[in-house]
Amino acid sequence: MRRPTLALALVAAGAVALAGLLAAPRPADSQAVDVFLNVMAGGAKKLNIVIPEFTLVAGRDTQGLVKKIPDVAGADLKFSALFSVVSGEPPLPADDPQALKQVLTESAARGAHATLHGLLTLKGDRAEAEMRLYDLTNPEQRLIATKRFDLPAADGRRLAHKIADEVVYQFTGEPGIADTKIAYASGNVQTKELFAMDYDGAGRVRLTGNDSINLSPVWSPDARSLAFTSYMRGYPYLYRLFAFERRPIQLLAGFLGINTSPAWSPDGRQVALTLSKDGNPEIYVLDVATGTVRRLTRHPAIDTEPTWSPTGREIAFVSDRTGTAQIFVMDAEGANVRQVTTVGFNTQPRWSPKGDAIAYTSRQGGHDIWAINPDGSNPRRLTAGPGSNESASWAPNGRHLAFQSNRLGSWQLFTMLADGSEQQPLTRGGGEFTSPAWSPRLP
Amino acid sequence: MLHRRWQLLLILPVLVLALFLVGCPKRPATTSAAAPAPGAPAPGTPGAGPSVAGPGAPGAPGAPGGAPGAPGAPGAPGAATTPGRPGAAPSPREFTAIATLQDIHFDFDKYDIRPGDAKVLDENAKWMKSNPNSLILIEGHCDERGTNEYNLALGERRAKSTMNYLVSQGVRANRITLISYGEERPQCTEKTEACWTKNRRAHFLVKAG
Repeated sequence: MRRPTLALALVAAGAVALAGLLAAPRPADSQAVDVFLNVMAGGAKKLNIVIPEFTLVAGRDTQGLVKKIPDVAGADLKFSALFSVVSGEPPLPADDPQALKQVLTESAARGAHATLHGLLTLKGDRAEAEMRLYDLTNPEQRLIATKRFDLPAADGRRLAHKIADEVVYQFTGEPGIADTKIAYASGNVQTKELFAMDYDGAGRVRLTGNDSINLSPVWSPDARSLAFTSYMRGYPYLYRLFAFERRPIQLLAGFLGINTSPAWSPDGRQVALTLSKDGNPEIYVLDVATGTVRRLTRHPAIDTEPTWSPTGREIAFVSDRTGTAQIFVMDAEGANVRQVTTVGFNTQPRWSPKGDAIAYTSRQGGHDIWAINPDGSNPRRLTAGPGSNESASWAPNGRHLAFQSNRLGSWQLFTMLADGSEQQPLTRGGGEFTSPAWSPRLP
Repeated sequence: MLHRRWQLLLILPVLVLALFLVGCPKRPATTSAAAPAPGAPAPGTPGAGPSVAGPGAPGAPGAPGGAPGAPGAPGAPGAATTPGRPGAAPSPREFTAIATLQDIHFDFDKYDIRPGDAKVLDENAKWMKSNPNSLILIEGHCDERGTNEYNLALGERRAKSTMNYLVSQGVRANRITLISYGEERPQCTEKTEACWTKNRRAHFLVKAG
């Protein structure tokens, strides 16, 4: 029997994340949250969770889902950096209370704080999983939560992601981010197409196939569509594609000049973008339903790369009005412009979905990813080479970032925690991967 | 209570639809603010990808069954002229490079015309004025050291500075179309200063008018 790895639990990464969690709203039924807070108050940085093999209740498990689902959910919980995971143990004796108590007691004795068990029923092409979450921090080994999920059996990985997100919800009051996608661009010097994959790199799907340059994908807040720039008609126009539906690509803006750098407003009704139709790259807001545009900036310098605050009341953007590219913030109507960064060459601002930070790319030699408070305080470096690190995209919980790095030679996608720790590759060769766009939680 | 909520849910979309139907005819078919469609796709435009519908159909986001680019939607492709300039721009594929028109180059992160490059532009302007019927496409390019989106804006400014200089030399502005490729079409892909210098350029193509 393996022991939960407490060494893992001591990774410093947790500290910053936990501060945010403690402030997060707690659900009405906060028993599980109490478990989490108690464990953390005891000095642990992570909660130790045991995920035994799932129990097959009915049906034929041709895909090995009883192993695959706990494996994938375990990887999700490890990725969250909130949990240490012990997996590979035999299924719990779910219908024998005495034997169940015995196994849970043994797990608790080995340092586990919780056990996640699943009961799997396979019927035709459907897979139904009932998850059961046990609190091992008290002698009764309380059943904290049960929840059923029903998906096509072919979506075993998604079933696992949903279970993992529910576990994170139970312990922190906010769902996890495993049931999300990451879109990106991939190609060569002549063409770049857009693709999407699960947040963990599985299940790559091509989204465009027009043999031109496709750039800057950004997910709409409902996670159904992406705005992007494409040269498919020769000039850089702005389009929208529906990632999971058989719907035609929609032209959003086809003005003379550039139609670039899209950013969805939090309500999904507007897209801020850069147009040069009036002679100079300026920031406009496009009403998606009517196609009308409203100009926000009026300055002879370059103004580009808008990003909305999660309240929709402010927009950060890039301008070289002081001589080099810097990050600025303005009200969503274009008034009250104030400078946020002052040193270096700073582009690619991305406002955190929690509102408290703006990630950006700073060039001081190579490019690295930084974050700064929206009022300009506390600029902090998140990556420090090697190579260039660019194009950050926030996970919907504001705890993780995806980014592109050429530290291994070619452009590949990486993820890290919001404090820059736990940098790890998401793609590993097989082409160049750029411009990651992390989706909101899927509907 | 629940019953009333359901009623509201059913009524709301109807109201929204009604508002649109009432409001739609009042909107001018083309205004300077309406997102225009690009010119009709030129022959040879890549058609391999998914088909392209018109701009933002009313209620498109999340409206089940709401066909994007519904027929008759104002500003459907080909229905509108591009505001700000007469006529829609021809496809970049209709332009070809000619040896007479030399590239000019830019300093890192800059879009002003350097004195040496102004001389190159003077020569280019001479050719353009003596071939007054040809249309000109100016491509603005960057090296890879910026970030993609910013470089699209920087490339646009480089093309625009180039155009402004040519116009100041007597070339008519309405013959010139700009396109920025940012860092997406490098001429040279080595990671050396010599190569980056080559990539920070304005490139000229022409189309017989």
